[in-house]
Amino acid sequence: MDMTSAATRPVLKVVDATLDFGGLRALNNVSITIEAGLITSVIGPNGAGKTSLLNCVSGFYHPTRGDIFFGERRLTSSSPHQVSSLGIARAFQNIELFRGMTVLDNLMLARHRNLTYSFLQAVVYFGKASRLEAENRAVVEDVIDFMELEPYRKQTVGSMSYGIQKRVEVARALTLGPQLLLLDEPMAGMNIEEKEDMVRFILDIQKERDITVVLVEHDLGVVMDISDRIYVLDFGQVIGFGRPEEVAANPQVIDAYIGEG
Amino acid sequence: MSANRWFATGNFYTTYREEQRIFVTHLDRLFFSLLLIGLFAWPLLVPTSNRNMLVINNILIAVVAVYGLNLVTGFAGLISIGHAAFVGIGAYTLAGTAGAIGESHVLITHAWPLMILASGCMGAAFGAFVGLPAMRLKHLYLAIATLSFQMIFSWTINFMTFFNQGQMIPVGRVFWINGPVGRNEHYLFWYYVILVTAVACGLGVRNLLRTRYGRCLVAVRDNDRAADAMGMHPGLTKVYAFALAGFFAGIAGALHTYMFRGAGFESFTLHHSIIYLAMAIVGGLGTLPGSLLGPVAIQILELQMEHLSEWAGALLPANMNLATAMRPLGFGLVIVLFLMFEPRGIANWWRICRTYLKLWPFRY
Repeated sequence: MDMTSAATRPVLKVVDATLDFGGLRALNNVSITIEAGLITSVIGPNGAGKTSLLNCVSGFYHPTRGDIFFGERRLTSSSPHQVSSLGIARAFQNIELFRGMTVLDNLMLARHRNLTYSFLQAVVYFGKASRLEAENRAVVEDVIDFMELEPYRKQTVGSMSYGIQKRVEVARALTLGPQLLLLDEPMAGMNIEEKEDMVRFILDIQKERDITVVLVEHDLGVVMDISDRIYVLDFGQVIGFGRPEEVAANPQVIDAYIGEG
Repeated sequence: MSANRWFATGNFYTTYREEQRIFVTHLDRLFFSLLLIGLFAWPLLVPTSNRNMLVINNILIAVVAVYGLNLVTGFAGLISIGHAAFVGIGAYTLAGTAGAIGESHVLITHAWPLMILASGCMGAAFGAFVGLPAMRLKHLYLAIATLSFQMIFSWTINFMTFFNQGQMIPVGRVFWINGPVGRNEHYLFWYYVILVTAVACGLGVRNLLRTRYGRCLVAVRDNDRAADAMGMHPGLTKVYAFALAGFFAGIAGALHTYMFRGAGFESFTLHHSIIYLAMAIVGGLGTLPGSLLGPVAIQILELQMEHLSEWAGALLPANMNLATAMRPLGFGLVIVLFLMFEPRGIANWWRICRTYLKLWPFRY
């Protein structure tokens, strides 16, 4: 694969991150490195700290100790809107769409940062405002096309089925135009066909759009098939790392999952 | 676009700009133009008493105020029960200035468009300040914060001698190109000023709603966590929503002061805040037509209830005070019924009519 040359470049580094909620230690000295162009999965039993880790990266939580770097930029104390404008997009585990808006408006909101017209230009809707709206609409349509959401464009998100909402969630993250895409259980609660679709989308996102993907997922079959690297978390600690076949052979991982003591 | 831009029943867009249009067909645009021409022309054709003109002006002022309330409560989902206080801020910006520099100062009588704009800006400043708790508070807790602003406003106006302790502060007659606006044409003159303001503000709001500055409001209403992840600061967006509401309220307040030739405390009480809220709810929260329909409906309702209670007063025994109770009773009943049976307000009826007429005479 031609990935090997790019694979040496880390985009995201979490260094010794510890996250405490009162007496509960959600993350304990977690260090991970996400390499450019790869699909890196984070797996682990329930409550292992996977979503907490994503929340730390995307700025909803700030680690108690440790650091997070995106390229050269330190993210440790950045808030979500700062993180997203740097090029890290996030799809949520529990669908967090704007339910009262259409798919189109949901995606247009992801272009918020790119619509640089001023307030007064917006009030008269003339010149730059109208032009930028049309230009960004084209970007949105490109994503709609990519994620095959054409039939739902003008539907209100709240009235759509769960599988489609999940897809809109991923589409909205893509519309931000990220370098790094964090997907938190994009396949949870889907049937086999919807899962297959989603896997295809994730692979396309990596290959066609050249976006680094971090995937948190419970379906181990999917994870083993599409991941380039896997991190295994248990009780807030990294207990295994490597290529899928290495992780599958790791006795600690087998122990955590199957639970032989 | 289809060749027929008059009666297009479907969507025939070929560019994204076509889809951005406010008026989809020429027919829409024609109706809107006719409506505007009608609104401007009718006072010249039908002589109207000052009393009726006053009612109409009051409705239009309420429309401007409700634009603001609908933006903050309908679109951004932040309940504000201090909207009359923001209107009062605008009114007292003008009245306070008049009190300080003299009611017939050139600034008041000649530069009145500037004073109206300044009142709007003052409203926006206070709106932003009162909106600060929205960075931390949500839902009912925020509503209480806005309520407390209403209380602080009442208290300040009632106790400060600068504001004449809530008594009327007079404002002089304004000048138009051909000299001062006299007693007879006063209401007609202000009808046109308020109409122009209401239409301009309405178009401004309509434009805002199809840009990032309008979408961000709905985003913080629906999901402020996701709004944060989309790259906007949810707290500041809420403050901005309050500033916007304050701006329209301030403008409405200044118009109110000019039309009544003074500002008195009794027009900006908690009662008025509730009425503004009722207008927004009955009109339709989170819709632009709702901001127009709500004030009209509520004002008409109030007048009708007044007639009704007068009529009932003659019939019912006087010692039971039933007639005086009818107005608040009927008012409350309408709001409850709307919340129960048509929470989307009159604007929803308007929407249903439009979608029906779009395909008429076909069913679908």
